[in-house]
Amino acid sequence: MSEIDCEQVLQLVWQFLDGEVEEVRYREIEAHLAECANCEGRVSFERRLRTLIETKCQEGPVPVELKRRLFKFLEG
Amino acid sequence: MAAPQPRTTPQDDRERFQALVEEHLNGLFGAALRLTRNRTRAEDLLQETFLRAWRSFRTFQPGTNARAWLYKILMNAYIDSYRKTAREPEVVDHDDVDEFYLYTKVQESEDFRRAGNPEEEVLARLMDADVKGALDSLPESFRQVVILSDIEGFSYQEIADILSIPIGTVMSRLHRGRRQLQGKLWEYAKRAHYVNAADSPPARSGPR
Repeated sequence: MSEIDCEQVLQLVWQFLDGEVEEVRYREIEAHLAECANCEGRVSFERRLRTLIETKCQEGPVPVELKRRLFKFLEG
Repeated sequence: MAAPQPRTTPQDDRERFQALVEEHLNGLFGAALRLTRNRTRAEDLLQETFLRAWRSFRTFQPGTNARAWLYKILMNAYIDSYRKTAREPEVVDHDDVDEFYLYTKVQESEDFRRAGNPEEEVLARLMDADVKGALDSLPESFRQVVILSDIEGFSYQEIADILSIPIGTVMSRLHRGRRQLQGKLWEYAKRAHYVNAADSPPARSGPR
């Protein structure tokens, strides 16, 4: 087993998914997840939930008319 | 003696500004919609952002993070307009809700477990309106940070710069916001489940 334990991994899960842990820590967590199905299940759920939230909150492009109006301000 | 040449002409400025803004306009509009929850206010916010950015364009350092610069202007414009129209709702902290709230609830639920793959089941059940509704239900200061992180993809440091708050505050608001979001999503998922159950046979009598 790697040096980091389940409790530490689960505490860092959001920082890990946010890409906000140091390189060494990141590798330790990845190694732990490769060996620990319990943590892997949780982390992978969080990851998918994050993707779902991001996807469902996407909006369409800026309306053409609005864009035209904005850039017209620059001509004055 | 010839007058010294200005480094850039107004025409150059306009073109540079247009190119810079054009790249981020769709993203800014999406963020404006998410923040204001209203198309007309989103358009007003985008226009205000655009004008403020143009006015301060000369202070923008080429080569620095243009996207973060524009979002900072957007957030400032939003917060200014928000302060005029609303009050911060009371922040209710759900200390009993942990990072894995939704996962744990789903695992514990007989109904979801019966579906075979409970995680799959809950994610499939959450509709666009549920996710947007859950996000909109967050206290304003949490909601801003969650939008900037989870939808716009900014780093903790970038969010700290955009909102002019310490990075520790970003992390704490983000964590509390996400926990609260999961609590809300669980409510929606449960409700969706009961609706599905009610729709299944035996057939009801009488008009629906």
